[in-house]
Amino acid sequence: MSSELPSVAGACERVRAGDRRTVAKTITLLESRRPDQAARGQEILEKLVPYTGGSLRLGITGAPGVGKSTFIEALGLRLIEKGHRLAVLAVDPTSPRSGGSILGDKTRMERLAQDEAAFIRPSPSGGSLGGVAERTRETLLLTEAAGFDIVLVETVGIGQSEVAVHSMVDCFTLLLQPGAGDELQGIKKGVLELADALVVTKADGELRRAAERSRAEYAHALELLRPASPHWTPRVLAVSAVSGEGVDAFWEMVLAHRSALEAAGALERKRRGQARAWMWSLVHEGLRAAFDGHPAVARRIPQAERDVEDQKATPAAAARRLLEAFLDD
Amino acid sequence: MLELAFTLADGLEYVRAALSKGLGIDQFAGRLSFFWAIGMNFYLEIAKMRAARRLWAELMQPFGPQEPRSSMLRTHCQTSGASLTAQDPYNNVVRTTIEALAAVFGGTQSLHTNAMDEALALPTDTTARIARNTQLILQEETGIPGVVDPWGGSYFMESLTASVAAAARTIIDEVEALGGMTRAIEEGMPKRRIEECAARRQARIDRGEEVIVGVNKYRLAEEEELDIRDIDNTAVRESQIARLKRVRSERDPKELEGSLAELSALARSGTGNLLEAAIRCARARASVGEISSALEREFTRYRASTSAISGVYRAVAEGDEAYESIRSDVEAFARAEGRRPRMLLVKLGQDGHDRGMKVVATAFADVGFDVDIGPLFQVPEEAARQAIENDVHVVGVSTQAGGHKTLVPELVKLLREQGAEDICVVVGGIVPPRDYAYLREHGVAAILGPGTPIPEAAREVLEAIRSRRA
Repeated sequence: MSSELPSVAGACERVRAGDRRTVAKTITLLESRRPDQAARGQEILEKLVPYTGGSLRLGITGAPGVGKSTFIEALGLRLIEKGHRLAVLAVDPTSPRSGGSILGDKTRMERLAQDEAAFIRPSPSGGSLGGVAERTRETLLLTEAAGFDIVLVETVGIGQSEVAVHSMVDCFTLLLQPGAGDELQGIKKGVLELADALVVTKADGELRRAAERSRAEYAHALELLRPASPHWTPRVLAVSAVSGEGVDAFWEMVLAHRSALEAAGALERKRRGQARAWMWSLVHEGLRAAFDGHPAVARRIPQAERDVEDQKATPAAAARRLLEAFLDD
Repeated sequence: MLELAFTLADGLEYVRAALSKGLGIDQFAGRLSFFWAIGMNFYLEIAKMRAARRLWAELMQPFGPQEPRSSMLRTHCQTSGASLTAQDPYNNVVRTTIEALAAVFGGTQSLHTNAMDEALALPTDTTARIARNTQLILQEETGIPGVVDPWGGSYFMESLTASVAAAARTIIDEVEALGGMTRAIEEGMPKRRIEECAARRQARIDRGEEVIVGVNKYRLAEEEELDIRDIDNTAVRESQIARLKRVRSERDPKELEGSLAELSALARSGTGNLLEAAIRCARARASVGEISSALEREFTRYRASTSAISGVYRAVAEGDEAYESIRSDVEAFARAEGRRPRMLLVKLGQDGHDRGMKVVATAFADVGFDVDIGPLFQVPEEAARQAIENDVHVVGVSTQAGGHKTLVPELVKLLREQGAEDICVVVGGIVPPRDYAYLREHGVAAILGPGTPIPEAAREVLEAIRSRRA
């Protein structure tokens, strides 16, 4: 019964044995908004921390329709052929006004979803973006403890979620459509700077030449940017998920990126930094939640908002009064 | 409007494809034939068919046809399956008659009338006979087909025809702007628009804004049982497998391999006549599966994009009492449970009718469920695995092709075997009432027949989840 909480020790054992059902159930606990369930999830995860960290963490983002799922499926099947075990986690920042989410990832990765060596878990958004990303980090650790040696974190590229995913992976890849060079202007420079690799998708059939042309243009554009890491210069590849062309080359590039970072000791530094940032992000999340739930603050908010709207108080003064109410207690 | 526009845009794509193969317009255009579904909106259906002929003739002019036949739209019509109800099914005879009449007034060249029990099962000999006789009566007793375009000249009908044609023209232009129908399909535009339209209609029906006699108005206190055709899935499956085995053992493997290899080679080179080669394969007793696999090796497989959109149902249902009440109930569940109720919707076996599933996905998401959608043609093992991996509360099986009696109990069994007995299974779609007991005995928590309003369906599913974890 899922309404009962599983025992921590038993769950840890089964997660480590790669038991799909327990992994799935534990993710549910971690994602739960019920404090007792979330706490049980954390307890399990804490026990598993020694067994985490063993995967290659790969982030993939791109605009809707760019072919993320198709690319991930082609890559995933190739990796499984090579003997890897693969977890695919999705951060979905498209939060509906109210109501639930529709999750169709497995429909788009049909063959991968059937493979024993793959675990795909789309997570509903249904709340704050930051929150979803935090849960995804935890799920990432959990799948590592369950023995998945490659974890793909996927997100729709709409800005903020990319930053969140970037902060939890080793290698961050941006997928791009072949075609118009001016597309690049639509992409925020910030996202481009995060990317360790750019992949132009759909390099087959009629679009093959367009993809090749785009690849050259993006490569040129990247030269104008200063690389984010002194140990790695981002590369641009053209890939066809349909013919499979470029998929192997992409994976070799991911491995090259990893060894370059490892050789310089940068991978460990990166992960340490990410863990530190994660802690701070949890602190900030906690502070915000405490602030939002503070009774004295809640009482003063309507007045403060009215004062600011009516220009009776400066936003700075009103904010100070709210913070004082919070801190006085 | 969508049907009209997308069908004609499709026609344009075929014309261009044939021209690009070097055929002259008059060599094939006269052979093209269209297919309309005819629903209950009587005048509109007649206007649709009239507008279609007008639009098609216009669309063909740029290709410079010399033969008048090349600009003529020939069509087949089928009365709408979607308008058939499982409730008080005798009413369907009347519905089909009215739809058939619209098709004849609209000038169809040929007609398919549905049987009254098709919302429940495959038709019996009796109901099929009534369906056929509906046509014979129109044809031989009434004199109706004796007049060409009897509505021509009616001010109302001419004006309706013109406005339908104009609206369809706008959508056709939109498709053409995307680069034609193939591009539009790749982009998912037609599927999305059709599903949006279906979800909106569902919300209108649920609110009673669109009346369906015996479903959302004038309901029977008790449904009469109808004698329907029972199909033993296992027996059908076994006899088909036996037949396939016999065919396979009797054919000449060399001829078979040769013809399939030739088909693949043709597909690769992109020249020559695929149909001719496929017929040779069939003569060598290749199965449809083998023929399409030979093509798939070169072409790869098309996969429909499943971008169900949320918000469409809500837009119409908002403010409705039943809708608001189930929504707050779902929110209460989410607060108590720590997450929203999560439902996996699946289609099992050879059943490609997924529009109903999409409407349910959209509407349930709008009611507050998190909805996972499974791929088409799943086997029970895959559905069970996905249910466990996504840790859903409930699996909803949408069934339209009669496979439920074997596939659903199998799914329930697999979930149990894998320790997931807390995941309940509900069934929706075309299920004959006499199978209800059988399915319930085999662990199905709820059965939601066609015509169940979404709020009621959601409440039953929520209850099934709650009682499973109580």
